[in-house]
Amino acid sequence: MYLYQLSIREWWTDLKDTFILNFIADDRYMLLLKGLGNTFLVTLGATLLGILLGVIVALVRSTYDKTITGMHPGPGKFILSFFNKISSMYLTVIRGTPVLVQLMIAYFVIFAPWAKHKTLIAIIAFGINSGAYVAEIIRSGIMSIDNGQFEAGRSLGFNYAQTLIYIIIPQAFKNVLPALANEFIVLIKETSVSCYIGLHDLTKGGEIIRSRTYTAFMPLLAVALIYLVIVMFFSRLVTLLERRLRNSER
Amino acid sequence: MNDDHLISVQKLNKHYNGGAIKALNGVSLDIDKGEVVVIIGPSGSGKSTLLRSLNLLEVPTSGSIFFEGNDITSKGIDINKFRQKMGMVFQHFNLFPHLSIIDNMTLAPRKLLGMSREDAEKEALDLLEKVALKDRAHAYPSQLSGGQKQRIAIVRALAMKPDVLLFDEPTSALDPEMVGEVLDVMKDLARDGMTMAVVTHEMGFAREVGDRIIFMDEGRIIVQGTPDEIFNHTDNERLKTFLAKVL
Repeated sequence: MYLYQLSIREWWTDLKDTFILNFIADDRYMLLLKGLGNTFLVTLGATLLGILLGVIVALVRSTYDKTITGMHPGPGKFILSFFNKISSMYLTVIRGTPVLVQLMIAYFVIFAPWAKHKTLIAIIAFGINSGAYVAEIIRSGIMSIDNGQFEAGRSLGFNYAQTLIYIIIPQAFKNVLPALANEFIVLIKETSVSCYIGLHDLTKGGEIIRSRTYTAFMPLLAVALIYLVIVMFFSRLVTLLERRLRNSER
Repeated sequence: MNDDHLISVQKLNKHYNGGAIKALNGVSLDIDKGEVVVIIGPSGSGKSTLLRSLNLLEVPTSGSIFFEGNDITSKGIDINKFRQKMGMVFQHFNLFPHLSIIDNMTLAPRKLLGMSREDAEKEALDLLEKVALKDRAHAYPSQLSGGQKQRIAIVRALAMKPDVLLFDEPTSALDPEMVGEVLDVMKDLARDGMTMAVVTHEMGFAREVGDRIIFMDEGRIIVQGTPDEIFNHTDNERLKTFLAKVL
């Protein structure tokens, strides 16, 4: 009985000491906070860039699919075919290679002269990566809208762009919003590989603590928990969003 | 070229697979102002293709279409301007599900004709009153029956004040008990002098409302004439066979 109590007390003291060592001493929790900030910054920047790229590529690809057969030969057709080719090459290359390899190519090769701007390079690399997935999500949303909606819009006198803006995109966006939100959640976790380029994100924050305190359990568990809480928070938001969209369907 | 006709179609061809399939094979046709032209024929005869070519939803392979004296198949023409004057009603209604009835009707007048929301809504409500659906102005398409949807689709097209209305099998997707209410709206329009081109399987409607019936088969116009000529006094074998099947 006495021994058992002692061991629990020892274990508790030990735990407390490790906790203090890892997070309180030298204000080490600040390493996690700073990393968390960078993780958010990279995710947010990459999401914005990804949506921008994704929308452009999706519009090129779906416009090509919908209109190319009815187009007369000429410069318009040539330009559209050209951009469609570029877009599908972009999708093939980005979706066919690991994001970590893309990040390292961006950092060590393409942007090597500007290596001190790690956050910016990470935003660009993850944004270009995410754009490929966003493009396919949005394209599937546009293509899922019945062709009769296009024809109804065109028959009223709307041009192609107006039909997209007033009729197709609002319906498509509603359909793909959950998938887009999921892409955002995936992206948050993916940015953890940016410690390979030495970017001080959340994962790197944990790694720095581990290398200073020589304890792996607490810092890594803390990092995992923080990711988990963030992902659970956004997943919950997506669920609420899906429910609201369903309700507004009437 | 032909200023006296509202629509003049000349030697229209629509080929697929490099000419292997001829959906339209040298079709010529005039439609005058105030006329109700009903196009009948077996499925695959090209009647829908012809109708959808009139506002270039189908792009013809060759031939020309004059609308109010303008060749809308010529290069560099802004087809969107002409489509505003050619309303279209589809088999599957194609209402915009994300917009309320009143927004379905006012979207194009506001964005394309530059009407204010108040004016557009006032006109839309007047139109809704004519088809007895004023009380559904703020409902959404999914809350309406098929017949109601098609009546809305008709007044949505009317909201642009078109010079002609094109109907592509407007009652084919409806339950039988709802066909009448849609045909009644179309009859009222015909009586008010609206120019209409109607692809339909409703022979009763064709006989009663049509000024001219056009019978198509295999991408060609086989015969055309008044309802009396077509339904009572034809000696064309193909038309006789067709009528024997549908009447």
